[in-house]
Amino acid sequence: MSIAAEPTREQTRARYPDEEGYVERGGVRVFWERYGEGPTAVLLFPTSPISHSRLWKAQIPYLARRHRVLTFDPRGNGRSDRPADGAAYGYWEYVEDGRAVLAAAGVDKAILVGLCDGGGWALMLASRHPETALGVVALAPCLPYLTPPHSNYTRFPFADPLDTDEGWAKYNLHYWRRDFRGFLEFFFSQQIPEPHSTKQIEDCVGWGLETDPETLALADEEAPLPWGSTEEAEALCQAVSCPVLVVHGELDACQTRERAEAVAALTGGTLVGLEGAGHLPQARHPVKVNLLISDFVESLERRTP
Amino acid sequence: MIVDQAAREQTRARDPDDAGYVERNGVRVFWERYGEGEPTVMLVPTWSIVHSRVWKLQIPYLARHYRVITFDPRGNGKSDRPIEASAYDERELAADALTVLDATETERAVLVSFSLGAHRALLLAAGHPNRVSGAVFICPSIPLAPRPSDQFSYPFEEPFDTYHGWAKVNRHYWLVDFRGFLEFFFSQMFTEPHSTKQIEDCVGWGLETTPEVLIATAHAAQVKKDEARALSSQIAPPVLVLQGTEDAIEGSARGIALAQATRGKLVLLEGSGHGAHARDPVRVNLLIRDFVESIARRAA
Repeated sequence: MSIAAEPTREQTRARYPDEEGYVERGGVRVFWERYGEGPTAVLLFPTSPISHSRLWKAQIPYLARRHRVLTFDPRGNGRSDRPADGAAYGYWEYVEDGRAVLAAAGVDKAILVGLCDGGGWALMLASRHPETALGVVALAPCLPYLTPPHSNYTRFPFADPLDTDEGWAKYNLHYWRRDFRGFLEFFFSQQIPEPHSTKQIEDCVGWGLETDPETLALADEEAPLPWGSTEEAEALCQAVSCPVLVVHGELDACQTRERAEAVAALTGGTLVGLEGAGHLPQARHPVKVNLLISDFVESLERRTP
Repeated sequence: MIVDQAAREQTRARDPDDAGYVERNGVRVFWERYGEGEPTVMLVPTWSIVHSRVWKLQIPYLARHYRVITFDPRGNGKSDRPIEASAYDERELAADALTVLDATETERAVLVSFSLGAHRALLLAAGHPNRVSGAVFICPSIPLAPRPSDQFSYPFEEPFDTYHGWAKVNRHYWLVDFRGFLEFFFSQMFTEPHSTKQIEDCVGWGLETTPEVLIATAHAAQVKKDEARALSSQIAPPVLVLQGTEDAIEGSARGIALAQATRGKLVLLEGSGHGAHARDPVRVNLLIRDFVESIARRAA
């Protein structure tokens, strides 16, 4: 099985950015975009370099009608650099990339929105730099050590050769090197389990193919973790002082309900559970997620006239 | 295995404002009305393999602007299910449509038909020009040109050892694996990627009728080529034909031929299959609306 090295031809977009640019930190260039002019800024964090900023394609055109929407591609995918050093993919690097994008776009404070890893990064930015965060929307948030990881990730060792490629044994470096597309197709079929999701799965597989297994392995498995204990993860959440909305799909095969509940409880946030939704509700249930985000933004706008 | 019971109905984007039955020769036909605007648009039913929910993506949009009438074809939905072939003569379906226009006190309507619905729409538009102000034909199944070579080309009455592909259009197969036929047929109707929802919907509506009903429809009298040509040349109201270029049921030659024969306007829908109104609803809805507006301007 060959890996498509060239990026897939980009689809047409419902809305194109009004401004774009790069920020550079430690020699790594990160690409960002701005859509819309509204008074309130919404920063849509990327998630792991298994995808890039098009992950938000169903949010951008809606939110940008009223708000100033910022996106960026994660280091490791999209139009951002793909450093060959695991240290470049540490959690705090993505957090600081987000802060650098805010500065480059001339934004002091934003609603920070993220999915999975990106939800964790949004919470981390709000915790370390509360002056940047009006509020956080964390979809299926991932914060290491906060709770035990989803059992799908603990069934097989990532770096060891396995004698099976069945199911979650595909979450394995050697399989990625043999059949990266096969891994992506499996992974996203698990993460988008709703019926009639062929388009969303196809999109995600295409974005995944814009990176490569070595980059993804550096980012997801070799990068330094931001802390080493549950207590540190809890302390980080407790230090978040802005309003927080946590969204969890009941069919999520990546992040557990327990983790979403912990984030909501420790940040004093609100948890919204989505019945019948998987790990990517923003892609598969965009109207619901868009309304949740815009209601949250508007509630904060009313609070700070 | 044949699932007998009706699938639980999905929620609707818009519910009807009025509904009722008409009865002709003991066969009851169920109709619905949505909206109050002008003019009236009648969404003509197609083959009884589905019912009026096949228009589910047209109704809520068109009803914002117009008065929309639908009815379930005899053989499916809330209409009766006679099993005599004569009950499914195209003239019966055209007469049902006329009776629904009467029952809803509709003087004139723009007809929108799909696939086999073209037969009844053509009969109505040519035979009752005073009741029809325009006609939209979506991927018409009208025998003015041949179908692609394989479609409906195997003997319907003969039993075979296996039923691959279009050989599934066979009464013996329908009686043992009706769902298998429906799944095949609708996979041909929606050849576009990412059509699982449309296919699932149509299979569900197909399961609301029976193979016996569809066997009756297969033996019913349709509009034949010469008559189709004559009716087409008689049509007075304006005609719009919407034809998918990738129509794997009828091909595109029939739609093109109908537009020529009726001196109508032809719009080729690039990349669309047979169920264009279900799979590309925004494009089709806007084309229908533009057509209805052009008729209103002409009348004014």
